[in-house]
Amino acid sequence: MSDYAENKKKNKTAHRKKICILCALCFGVFLYLIGRLSYLMIGCSEYYTEKAQDLHERERVIKAARGKILDANGKVLATNRTVCTISVIHSQIEQPEQVIQMLARELSVEENVIRKRVEKVSAIEKIKSNVSKEIGDRIRTYEYAGVKVDEDFKRYYPYDTLASKVLGFTGGDNQGIIGLEVKYEEYLKGKNGTILAVTDAKGVEIPSKGEKRIEPVPGKDLQTSMDLNIQMYATQLAEQVMEKKQAEAVYLMVMNPQNGELYAMVNIPEFDLNNPYQLNQMDSVSANQLSGKEKQDALNRMWRNGCINDTYEPGSTAKIITAAAGLEAGVVSLEDTFHCPGYIVVEDRRIRCHKTTGHGSEDFLHGTMNSCNPVFVTIGLRLGVEQYYKYFKQFGLLQKTGIDLPGEASTIMHDPKNMGLVELATVSFGQSFQITPIQLMTTAAEMVNGGNRVIPHFGVRVIEEVDTDTGKSQKIKRFQYAQKQHIVSEETSQTMRYLLEQVVENGGGKNAYIEGKRVGGKTATSQTLPRGSGRYISSFLGFAPADDPKIMALLIIHNPKGTYYGGQIAAPVVRQLFENILPYRESTVYAIEDN
Amino acid sequence: MARRNARRKKTEYFFDYTLLFVVLFLLGFGLVMIYSTSSYEASLTYNDPAYYLKKQAFAAALGVVAMIVVSSIPYHLWEHFAVIGYVVSAVLILLVLTPLGRESHGARRWLNLGLSVQPAEIAKLGMIIFLASLVCNMGKAIKSTRGFMTVLGAPVPICAMVYLITDNLSSAIIIFGIAVLMLFVSSPQYKEFFLVGLAGVAGISLLIFTITKLAGSGKLGFRGERILAWLNPEAYASGKGFQTLQALYAIGSGGIFGKGLGQSMQKLGFLPEAQNDMIFSIICEELGLFGAVAIILLFMLLIWRCMIIANNAPDLFGALLVVGVLGHFAIQVILNIAVVTNTIPNTGISLPFISYGGSSVLFLMIEIGLVLSVARGIKFND
Repeated sequence: MSDYAENKKKNKTAHRKKICILCALCFGVFLYLIGRLSYLMIGCSEYYTEKAQDLHERERVIKAARGKILDANGKVLATNRTVCTISVIHSQIEQPEQVIQMLARELSVEENVIRKRVEKVSAIEKIKSNVSKEIGDRIRTYEYAGVKVDEDFKRYYPYDTLASKVLGFTGGDNQGIIGLEVKYEEYLKGKNGTILAVTDAKGVEIPSKGEKRIEPVPGKDLQTSMDLNIQMYATQLAEQVMEKKQAEAVYLMVMNPQNGELYAMVNIPEFDLNNPYQLNQMDSVSANQLSGKEKQDALNRMWRNGCINDTYEPGSTAKIITAAAGLEAGVVSLEDTFHCPGYIVVEDRRIRCHKTTGHGSEDFLHGTMNSCNPVFVTIGLRLGVEQYYKYFKQFGLLQKTGIDLPGEASTIMHDPKNMGLVELATVSFGQSFQITPIQLMTTAAEMVNGGNRVIPHFGVRVIEEVDTDTGKSQKIKRFQYAQKQHIVSEETSQTMRYLLEQVVENGGGKNAYIEGKRVGGKTATSQTLPRGSGRYISSFLGFAPADDPKIMALLIIHNPKGTYYGGQIAAPVVRQLFENILPYRESTVYAIEDN
Repeated sequence: MARRNARRKKTEYFFDYTLLFVVLFLLGFGLVMIYSTSSYEASLTYNDPAYYLKKQAFAAALGVVAMIVVSSIPYHLWEHFAVIGYVVSAVLILLVLTPLGRESHGARRWLNLGLSVQPAEIAKLGMIIFLASLVCNMGKAIKSTRGFMTVLGAPVPICAMVYLITDNLSSAIIIFGIAVLMLFVSSPQYKEFFLVGLAGVAGISLLIFTITKLAGSGKLGFRGERILAWLNPEAYASGKGFQTLQALYAIGSGGIFGKGLGQSMQKLGFLPEAQNDMIFSIICEELGLFGAVAIILLFMLLIWRCMIIANNAPDLFGALLVVGVLGHFAIQVILNIAVVTNTIPNTGISLPFISYGGSSVLFLMIEIGLVLSVARGIKFND
């Protein structure tokens, strides 16, 4: 064998060795890549699968039905209506012209507005929401590809304006905005469900992959102590007096003074709950001229619940505070005699009685019946600043009542350190401090119900429909409202009931007297600030039966024209109310009363 | 005995049916996967779910014909065209700059010669023939440093043109990689390659270190950002890491057995280039780890057959041709799978025989034809 051939063979062996090494190197890398793949597809599989699923699934919300609001008898005050949202899916539309014409016709929207939406290249385009179910069903029957009709719930209030500021309304996402709707949001709202659909990268659903549904959980029903009949009747009475006296606003509240359950709360003018963004006191032309902020302010004013959100000087109705404090402290008794020359001098001030000629000599009972300012100033001065303030606080006037409605205002009262005798004197007959109407009524209730501070409230219980094996059943949760006992003694309470009954039988509240019934009460007429403006607030606080109060009402008339005395314009309205609801109340057993 | 003798007489030359079968299987499998990955997008874009499939099937058929033709031509013929092939490659790359060039996906890499062709694909084939011929002509000179440097330097002009003119780093790397592997086989040295490898690893590490330090400075080009996205694809999910992350979602969600053929979700517009460079991740998603490993094993078998043929080639030229083709396949398969599994930074490399791409499959089939032609030269003798 030649040298060359030998060499060539050696070379060839060398090459073979190298080729084998090369091949081995490649196989080594391949094995590494198989290892890497195994790590990704076994070790990280769960992680990436989840990520990929998030990417592929689109969520569509199924709105949960909001719980109803019921009155004490189970009548529906707020419920839901099915409405439809109409949308188009650009990529699925097959007959754009027909779709545009059909939608324009059915929805009474201009054709070019719809054309713009239909021709817009987007995953899904909303055409109109809050379309009635009938129209939605009709659009469905056309069966055009790419037109989507989604059902949705819209809050509906069958009585429109009734108790508008109490019930409140809901916003675009069905969330409570004011009133009970917002206070009981957590029970009413329910839990939205979802439809999980698999889509491609452009968001187009892939029907073959199916849908996953998570059913919505409807909200729970709220049953209130409001009595639809009393609320309607009270509204009617308040509207009558509003019109008759050309007043600015009329409040009328009806409560059970024993436990704080409110039967009615009327705030005239009410607004339309099914149309809460329409200003009720303004024609649409001038409403349209308002700036955004002005309109919002006007709406906020319209939605305000004056019984709770605003304070006022209560005037003579607040004399029950001074009377109860005096009786509790023992600085006055029914037989004490006073002398009213028509005014009383405190330090350098001359404080006038409403009867400028004076009531002359009178005992405490008659002083109360006459609502005589000098009598109550005298009692206030007997108590002194420190003691008066102590009772004011003890009666709960410095705290909010805790009513289950949002935005309760706080009492505005002098700081005892800055309170001189003149301030004390004015406070004694209901001026120079401000409380909310609900605070006055709650305080009056505790004076006559035996001395217990109740929490005024509407919410009584929530009712949840539960599916069980044997069908539907109800799960009921009752709210507990604690009472503070013995705010005033039973004895003082008894005296107060007697005093206030005498006011109605023989005193300033006699216009509230009902033959054969025992009614107690107190009138008030107060000039609003600034004094001398000629603007008055007339009010009457009444309760019945006077010996065992079952019902209490407070009527407040803001700025009545003409006669403005509470005894003359407010007391007769409360009498009319009591005349009608006392027999009704005695004969009705509410659904909420069975436990 | 008599029968065996008769057969030996009849088939005097060796024909590698295993290799042929593997290649045809991969080609067929590739068509199935191209239909699976592209039909959804194709039906949306071209209103024809088989749009990509038809184009690829045509290229594949053309490829099979080219393979048969090339396999029946004695491979020594190509030795005469070695220099011409080199020059033609260079000219074709330059032609991309003329109106004959065609732009797609934001890069000017194609030539419109009736059929759309990537000159880089021709350059790969040209380089394999040129280097095989160069090494054979050098004889013993390959042992010298000068010879070593000549072989290493020969592909540099072409690589530079591919990178600079067609802005195609991946093809430049592949061409250079083929050259290095061919040199490794033809040169008896070991130490040099070890040192070059070591230097390469050190250089790459330094580069990555510098880029990480520069992160966020805004001085990095898109290649620098690709490296950052490689290190942490989720942080660049909406930018450079998007494709990689989508590929990982596809691979990871496939699991062990996959979602089933045609059931991929990621191909529905989520993963860009699903039928192209990223097709392997869809294979993982649909066929799972089993399918993916099966494909890798087929490629290993392909490389194994090439090795057998190279080792038994009648002469050095034939052996080097096969080594070049082997290197080409190995580099491209490894880089492609490494990219989709985020083992290396993202760069556009297609999976041989499977990815969509007409000129790629055509030239791959010509290379197979070359290998089969070399295999025919193997004589059965005792």
